[in-house]
Amino acid sequence: MIPNKAVVTAASPTEHHLPLQTLVDSEGLAKTALEIILDDIFAAGLESVAIVIHPGTREAYLDAAGSHAERLTLIEQKGPRGYGHAVWCAREFTGGDPFVLLVSDHLYLSCEESSCVRQLLALAASHDGCVSAVNPTHESKLHLYGTIGATRVPASPSIFEVNTVIEKPTPTLAEQELIIPGLRAGNYLCFFGMHSLTSAVMEHLDTLVSKMGESGVLGLTPTLAHLAKSEKYLATELAGQRFNIGERYGLLKAQLSLALAGPHRDEVLTDLIEITAHSRPGCQSS
Amino acid sequence: MSKLLNIITSGDPSVRNAAFASVCDGLTLEELLEESEALDQFRREADNLYERVRALFFLYAIHRFHLPSKLSVDRIGRIPFEGHEHLLNRRFTEAIDTFLAAVSQQGAGDSLSSALASAYHELAFQTLANQVRKSVRAVRGNQWMFRMGHPADHPLRLAPELLERAHDGTRAVLREQTPVRMDLSHSGWSDIFFLGMDFPEGARVLNVSVDLGVNGRDAEPKPPIEAYLRVIDEPVLILTSVDLKASARIDSLGEVFDFAKDYLGLLKAAVIAAGIVPPGIEGSGQKLESLLERVVGPGKGLELISSVNGIPKGSRLAVSTNLLAALIGVLMRATGQTSSLTGPLQENERRLVLARAILGEWIGGSGGGWQDSGGVWPGIKLISGQAASEGDPEMGISRGCLMPTHHVFGEDEIPASSRQALQESLVLVHGGMAQNVGPILEMVTEKYLLRSEAEWKGRTEALALLDELIATMVAGDIKALGRATTQNFRGPIQSIIPWATNLFTETLIEEAESAFGEDFWGFWMLGGMSGGGMGFIFAPERKAEAQQAMQRIMSEAKKKLQHALPFAMEPVVYDFAINAEGTSAQFLGEGGSALPEAYSRLTAELKQSAQNEEAPSGEVSGSLRRLLDEHGFDEELHESIRADLLAGTISLAGNRLPATATVEDVDQEDVLDLSSLSAGDSRFDRARAKGEAAIAAGEVAVVSLAAGAGSRWTGGAGTCKALNPFAPLDGCYRTFIETHLAKSRQVAAQGGTDLPHVFTTSYLTTQPTNDFLASVGNYGYEGPLLVSPGRSVGLRMIPTERDLRFAWEEMPQQLLDEQQQKMRDSARSALIGWAKSAREGADYTDNLPLQCLHPVGHFYEIPNLILNGTLRNLLQERPQLKTLLLHNIDTLGANVDSTILGLHRDAGHGLTFEMITRRLEDRGGGLARVDGHPRLVEGLAMPNDEAEFEISYYNSMTTWIDLDQFLQLAGLTREDILAHDEGKLAGALRSLADRLPTYLTIKDVKKRWGHGQEDVFPVTQFEKLWGDLTILPEANCGFFVVPRLRGQQLKDPAQLDGWLTDGSAAYVRGLCDWG
Repeated sequence: MIPNKAVVTAASPTEHHLPLQTLVDSEGLAKTALEIILDDIFAAGLESVAIVIHPGTREAYLDAAGSHAERLTLIEQKGPRGYGHAVWCAREFTGGDPFVLLVSDHLYLSCEESSCVRQLLALAASHDGCVSAVNPTHESKLHLYGTIGATRVPASPSIFEVNTVIEKPTPTLAEQELIIPGLRAGNYLCFFGMHSLTSAVMEHLDTLVSKMGESGVLGLTPTLAHLAKSEKYLATELAGQRFNIGERYGLLKAQLSLALAGPHRDEVLTDLIEITAHSRPGCQSS
Repeated sequence: MSKLLNIITSGDPSVRNAAFASVCDGLTLEELLEESEALDQFRREADNLYERVRALFFLYAIHRFHLPSKLSVDRIGRIPFEGHEHLLNRRFTEAIDTFLAAVSQQGAGDSLSSALASAYHELAFQTLANQVRKSVRAVRGNQWMFRMGHPADHPLRLAPELLERAHDGTRAVLREQTPVRMDLSHSGWSDIFFLGMDFPEGARVLNVSVDLGVNGRDAEPKPPIEAYLRVIDEPVLILTSVDLKASARIDSLGEVFDFAKDYLGLLKAAVIAAGIVPPGIEGSGQKLESLLERVVGPGKGLELISSVNGIPKGSRLAVSTNLLAALIGVLMRATGQTSSLTGPLQENERRLVLARAILGEWIGGSGGGWQDSGGVWPGIKLISGQAASEGDPEMGISRGCLMPTHHVFGEDEIPASSRQALQESLVLVHGGMAQNVGPILEMVTEKYLLRSEAEWKGRTEALALLDELIATMVAGDIKALGRATTQNFRGPIQSIIPWATNLFTETLIEEAESAFGEDFWGFWMLGGMSGGGMGFIFAPERKAEAQQAMQRIMSEAKKKLQHALPFAMEPVVYDFAINAEGTSAQFLGEGGSALPEAYSRLTAELKQSAQNEEAPSGEVSGSLRRLLDEHGFDEELHESIRADLLAGTISLAGNRLPATATVEDVDQEDVLDLSSLSAGDSRFDRARAKGEAAIAAGEVAVVSLAAGAGSRWTGGAGTCKALNPFAPLDGCYRTFIETHLAKSRQVAAQGGTDLPHVFTTSYLTTQPTNDFLASVGNYGYEGPLLVSPGRSVGLRMIPTERDLRFAWEEMPQQLLDEQQQKMRDSARSALIGWAKSAREGADYTDNLPLQCLHPVGHFYEIPNLILNGTLRNLLQERPQLKTLLLHNIDTLGANVDSTILGLHRDAGHGLTFEMITRRLEDRGGGLARVDGHPRLVEGLAMPNDEAEFEISYYNSMTTWIDLDQFLQLAGLTREDILAHDEGKLAGALRSLADRLPTYLTIKDVKKRWGHGQEDVFPVTQFEKLWGDLTILPEANCGFFVVPRLRGQQLKDPAQLDGWLTDGSAAYVRGLCDWG
């Protein structure tokens, strides 16, 4: 199953500005975070992209998309109804087709030639069901992510069959339900923010949305948890890094990684050393 | 192959469960020594934890019970001090190696066997405790808390609902309400962790969650345990216990881990075990504020409040464990560790709370059974041990898992009508006794792992009875249930641990039977032992009447026995109802009004007392002053001791002989070893004839020292040890007094005469002893029976920091298990703070008057006999009196033995002291040559810790006194005694006392408060000791070595089981004629 559509969510009323920030990509070109995400998506062979946006941000997003603007479908989520609801808003765009789902407040940097999106699609091509990208995450960050319980697929060291999905578990619960042999102690597989999903997801979301009240909020986790119980749902540990550009210094870390991954690596490293040498020591954080 | 090893390793249950003792009984000394060697080798190599532990218990039992009787009496052996030091520092394997090396050098002997027994015993329990500890940490859901060491890594966040403000600006309060649990049967203490992990099939408990109210006080039963949590706008933890009237504002991580600093240890343990302040962060040097910022929010903190609705301590309803569970529950809910903030918990969440409560008990240095958190579950449940299987951390290590499983009976299994019927028949009470159940749990563990025959049979019966109890509940036949619980109590429970009952319980049962006849359906022991929480089952139509009657019966029995048994409070009758929900939480809406009324009262009181805070006055007035005046308090002496204490002239360190003194073991010619004589020897026969003639001529009297409170016997509860009905002997509970009289009766009957028996008493024991003897008609004692009231008393003082530090830091101390040691260190540091704030050397007056006084040492017992006219009365009645036999109240084997009496007379000693060969547990000095002269040296006076280990004989305190020589020593004559010139007598005795050293001691004294709560304070007192008369050359002292059974003392209830097993009880019974 190879999707050719992608959905990117960017409808958060408080964080919709994040993908609009400008960085310098690994080639040294100034681009918005959104543009960098879209570069990856289109480079991986996907043909069309829908972005679920916050009302009133259409123009800003079209501007930020740069050369990709014409290939985008922008869909407004009318209110803050949750991540699952935002995905559901793109149901007409995806139709009955499989699609790749990404978030707009993360940047991904592959450790290989092949981008993260491409790595995900490579596994999706050999599997009929959903595939989620995951990465080992320390228990102190569990409150930020959906986390899976899974078993390893024999002979495929980075592929897992998902048994359960729990949104932002406490380490107490994670230790009871989500331990995966082979991971370091205190580490769990958390979502990477990138999924390859089937139309079953939209169908399940549709059912849940029909049951939610006017002011209800719907996450994606219940649907993914449902998938884990009802079909063969895989997860893969990608060879790449994820940067949350919404957290403190997240953008800086993303920028550094991008700069160090390109031809200007030496220049950036030299500058870093110089900055470090001349910086004034501040108060040490405890 | 070794027979005993075969028992341990056999795959056949009939062999594996064979009784250890029956195999040992048939072995010779050589065979036992060979078996010991094989077992020791095995325990070093065995991988399986429980096989190792069984080998250790076997080794303990061989050295404690089976070898001593087979060892040659002339091979005493010397315990190496190095081994003792290893024991004190909990290096048990090294201690064993040291003792075994000594055995190979000296040969096997009684002393070394006692040391080995102790080391094997300790190592066995340490191995078991370590395993429980490992398992607690390994439980999934607990592990992360040990990894987390920095606030930045803290993964928990407070639920937003608790952070939101209401219209009035206050925040919501989350309340957890939890019932307590009562156990219909614990199948013979099978819920002890070790036992559940050894034999999970046998670990079964029928446990009921109940709401509670005090009959006549509360309108209706409700879940007695409440935990409240709210967010505060300060980056601190405020912990408050409404019942203990204590509150603390904690702003550092170190203080969270300081459990014994105040009464809030349980709340702190909950904060830790719930993961708010995870155990991994202890000692990290981080700030509590940073941690709270991460979990609660910047500038915010938490307030946690506990309340148990005045349910007293010792209720056997697991109040503290369920309170811990409630506190953990509310904190886990608030941090998203359960799926819902309110309502009951789901099964997996209850299990998690259980795991955390076990962790919390371990962190807090306490320990309960695994059924104790039963209140977290609803209704009636069967809790069972679980065999370890693949994936469990216990797999391959122990047969069972740490955590049990819970089956909650539905109404399809135990119908509502049965539950109702139980409620209508059961009268639940607290008898008022608060005792430490710890020694009993150790005894049970030991017996089960040894598969002692009677106890193992008891265990099997208890398991069958549990099934019967379930059947009676299913059928709703409460009368049959009463029969089964009574049968459980009378049968298995007491065949396993006779000490589970006591005279108070037996009195209550007897009275209930007599008052209600056929309508009294049965007795039900709750928890580990009786005397505190108990159940009495009655025909339902008489329940209300029975509640009233039981209150009266308990109060009367308590009044009768309050000087003999340790009571912590007035008995109460409860109202109860089965709780169908288990632990459950609710939001209480807006702020302060949601908190219990008692909390508001408490905070107001605490504010008030903080404003009025000042050191206690230490003023001696009222009834304390009267008591001092009545009991011969010497104000002048007291002030001079205080001045010396503050000046440092007398101190704990000053008790010791100078370091230049040489302390050596005595030579063989310094003692007469009675084992070297036997019937048929002319010296023996001559002595016996002489002794018999003296008895027949009425020349002998017995003096039993009965002035003491038995501090070790009741943990400083201030009862009279002499009156304690310590054990059932020949079918009845016997007090120490009755036992001593029974021995005198037998001697008198054999001598065809009567034998005067004197009990020397003190301010604490005179009145109760007189009353008690009157109430039992002097036990029908035929001879003269006299009570010699005390004539001297001291007033306790607040200790100095110097002496406390010396006692706790300089003197040898038994290092405790890691967490218990932390608790002890923390408590001691708080007590040093108390001593400083209450003024060092000040009079100790902040307790009941009787608890502020102290006896001034047993030297004064014979002088008192002279001063109070008792000796005069005796001499008037029998001028031929020549010899007194003086002994401690707990030396149960001492009697007027005609042979020893004859030998004493033959030797012409002024004082003949009876010595026993020293065992490891015989601490406190003994017979030594000091600078070349044989004398008794008190433990306090030993110049260093090692010196005591150089000496072979321990002083039993039993002394034969030649009356005339003693009077001469004091500068008195028989005529002076008869003339009774008080001034002259007092002057002479004071002069004698002045020649003896004064020792400063630190004693623990209990202070009771609240609902059965007790605090223990160290206080300073002084004493002069009888054995120091041996310093005086003109006292003309001699020393006989007597058999251990005659000279050993019963100091601690934990000794009772061994006392019963090792032949001591049988020996004493053989000396008694109960009349």
